[in-house]
Amino acid sequence: MAIIAITHVFISHFAVGGGLYLVVTEYQARRDNDFQMLEFVKKHSKFFMLVSMVYGGVTGVGIWFTIGLIQPDATADLIHTFVFGWAAEWVWFLVEIVALLVYYYKFDSMDEGNHLKVGWIYFIAAWLSLFLINGIIGFMLTPGDWISNNNFWSGFFNPTFWPSLWFRFAVSTLLAGVFAFFTTIFISSTTFRHKMTRYSSLWCLGSMVVVIPTGYWYLQVLPSATQEIFSISPTIANSVKVGAFATAGFIVLVTLFTLWKPAWHNMVSALLVAICALSMMGSFEWIREAGRRPYVIKDYRYSNGIPLVRVDELNQGFLGNSKWSVVSEVNRDNLAQAGDELFKFQCYACHTLDGVNNDIRSRTATSTFNGMVKYLGTIHDRRPFMPPFVGTDMEKKALAAYLIGTLHGKEVTLEAKTGATNLGQQLSDEECTSCHGCDIVKEWAQGMTLDQVKQGLLSLSKIDESMDDYAGSVHELEALTNFILGVPQVQCVDVDGAAQFNDECVMCHDADTSFAWAKGKTAAEVKDGLLHLSKISSSMDDFSGTEAELQAMTAFIKQEAKGGTQ
Amino acid sequence: MSLVPTPEVLPIARGYFDSLLLLTFPLHLILMNAMIGAMALALWAHWHKNPVSERLAYQLAKVLPLLIAFTINFGVPPLLFAQVIFGHYLYASSIIIGVYWLSVIPILLVMYYGAYVYDFKFWSFGRRGLPVLVLSGLLMLCVGFIFSNNMTLMLNPEAWKAYFTHPGGVFLNLSEPTLWPRYCHMMVGALAVGGLSVAVLSRLWQKKDAEVAALALSSGMRLFFVATCVQVILGVWFLLSLPVNVMMLFMGQQFLATVLFIVALVLVVLVLLVAWKKHLAGCAWLAVFLVYIMTFMRAIVREGYLSQHAVEQVVAAQHDYSPLMLFVITLVIGIALIAWMVKVTLQCKEY
Repeated sequence: MAIIAITHVFISHFAVGGGLYLVVTEYQARRDNDFQMLEFVKKHSKFFMLVSMVYGGVTGVGIWFTIGLIQPDATADLIHTFVFGWAAEWVWFLVEIVALLVYYYKFDSMDEGNHLKVGWIYFIAAWLSLFLINGIIGFMLTPGDWISNNNFWSGFFNPTFWPSLWFRFAVSTLLAGVFAFFTTIFISSTTFRHKMTRYSSLWCLGSMVVVIPTGYWYLQVLPSATQEIFSISPTIANSVKVGAFATAGFIVLVTLFTLWKPAWHNMVSALLVAICALSMMGSFEWIREAGRRPYVIKDYRYSNGIPLVRVDELNQGFLGNSKWSVVSEVNRDNLAQAGDELFKFQCYACHTLDGVNNDIRSRTATSTFNGMVKYLGTIHDRRPFMPPFVGTDMEKKALAAYLIGTLHGKEVTLEAKTGATNLGQQLSDEECTSCHGCDIVKEWAQGMTLDQVKQGLLSLSKIDESMDDYAGSVHELEALTNFILGVPQVQCVDVDGAAQFNDECVMCHDADTSFAWAKGKTAAEVKDGLLHLSKISSSMDDFSGTEAELQAMTAFIKQEAKGGTQ
Repeated sequence: MSLVPTPEVLPIARGYFDSLLLLTFPLHLILMNAMIGAMALALWAHWHKNPVSERLAYQLAKVLPLLIAFTINFGVPPLLFAQVIFGHYLYASSIIIGVYWLSVIPILLVMYYGAYVYDFKFWSFGRRGLPVLVLSGLLMLCVGFIFSNNMTLMLNPEAWKAYFTHPGGVFLNLSEPTLWPRYCHMMVGALAVGGLSVAVLSRLWQKKDAEVAALALSSGMRLFFVATCVQVILGVWFLLSLPVNVMMLFMGQQFLATVLFIVALVLVVLVLLVAWKKHLAGCAWLAVFLVYIMTFMRAIVREGYLSQHAVEQVVAAQHDYSPLMLFVITLVIGIALIAWMVKVTLQCKEY
């Protein structure tokens, strides 16, 4: 899918900018009576036809076929909402084909003025195709007011429409230069080869001047939630790196090999420039797609095809409402099979099983059954780019049983363990191992004191932004710390943070004031704030309880500030 | 529980989409037929070693990539409108045959580039170009077969249970009794109308190469006549393979279906008579009319199948016709631009 999509995007943008390149260059050639240049345009139009019309046309249909298989519901959304937009786009596609065929086959025999007009018709039709498709693609990331009014035009002229349109147009003229480099290699006259190579490099660099500000504009109009996803998604971080290197490489190569020293230009530099451009485009599209997560159509349908409006209904029983599920009700005997079905419905759209992309087996290797059950319950909060698990508690356990039992052969126990259990280990399983192994934690804690580990757990977000500060009770924190440091379980007094809070605070002001104040603060900051309450208001006394009480209250306030227990 | 998914809300009344589907699908069919006919006749002409037939093969080689381009392009609107009305059937059947369905794309690419290689290297390759053409031809037949599989599977939700035994997308609807008659009916029909299309194209070559034009006309008309005769037998086979309740629609149970069937039979007899008399224009217009009638009958067959699995399709409460206007205006502008380009092309010194 990715190969079809990225190469299609590459070629289809080229089909727009390349059209402008052809007609503008032909105009110059005819104006200056430059027959060499005219011959070049003719040769380039053959290459253009074979690449853009054949490969671009077929892979465009290919994307349509593919999305219908991977995301039938979202495809149906796009088809039903924009059917006449697609139909209008088809008209321009048809005009493009006719114009391009006439342009190439009648290059020598048609009257000059008419031939140029046909060239302009091609370019305008291609640009209008971009105009239409840009509205529909942008809709998926920023549906705007369509969410509330379901209006075609609201979805089409969505918040990213204009920046995206100019950005893509500039990219298309940049690609026109990139593809022309392949034709310029084969020019036999040295002087003319240098002239056309340099001319094409100006298309690339001139376009780059527009690509950068419009790209920045595009990022600015994205909603804050998407920008947040940009900052935390590991997939996006990698794509940003690839994109940055590719852009730098592109500018250097084009400046050096085609503008400054066109004599150095050859097939290798043409390929390198094309690879850099492809990587730039690829990383941009990848970032855009990943930034849309956890949705396929933002705020309307999750990446796994579940529409937001049905979440509550499906939480009463997902499999029972799924027509294509082999299992309709989960019980002890079909747990793993039901989990397998749930995996296909809720995870398979993004995760592969033993594949290259987002392999689920490696991502669940360190977890335990209980840890996975808890993780699935908070998955969307912990990783906002993933959709929430949808279904009953039993279905959640079934999915965990499949991921942990079936895929890794680990123990799956539905009953809560009774008797002497190690609370610290249980907490480690539940809180830590769904993302990383316990070894890493123990390694981190090596040589640290009990208090240092505790402080570290209370401010985990400082170690890694993707982690939340630990927000359990004092007793739990103590047990977890002891487990990490390998200290035998010690008796500690469990202090009720909620009771402390009620006693100390809500006598004078409502609880929400405190929670609002604590929102966004780390545990250490909350603690420090409690110790210096008088600085917030002279009517309050600084907290003067024991360390255990302070920690319990901090943990409670932090938990409530985050929206309560999940 | 029925496997048929809940359909999406239709933006405007279904009749608009039905009309657009029935209007655009025959155009795709005619182009597809011309593509297959041109392919078959190029093969036949290139096989014969005389210079005239070789020149005919070259003319067809030049036309073939264009026919492929327009066949694919004109496939877009009917598939689009079909997805609007029948998406809930079509997505499911496409997923079940997913691997084959997706393979249509690489097959098309190889077929398309093969046709260009055959065209651009016609004189330098000589008869060595024939295997390239044969490969492209076979790939065309494969695409048709995959489409026939999908179009029969979408009509029969009972057969979708195959997904549970073949969840990997490697499934073909081979146990469907109408599959082979339907496919053969489509392909032999394509040869017939394709032959006729080549005969029509011969008019373009009249001035430049009268011998080639004469051969294209005679061979095209002959192919049309023979294939149409075979088509009559295949049509009966297809009709008899249909489920009784669907077949009986054309036997008096439904007025419109019966009338269309009778009109089609009369048209077949007429078109054969006109072809026998070598009246090209009359034959071509009758054939286009016949393709439209056949498409309407095909729609009735589809409704006959789906009536047992019908699910309610909701139409949006507020009908917004402005997007339809966008399409209509675009179409008018597009047709005007194409007409102008065709006009200036025909004014060129050479065709």
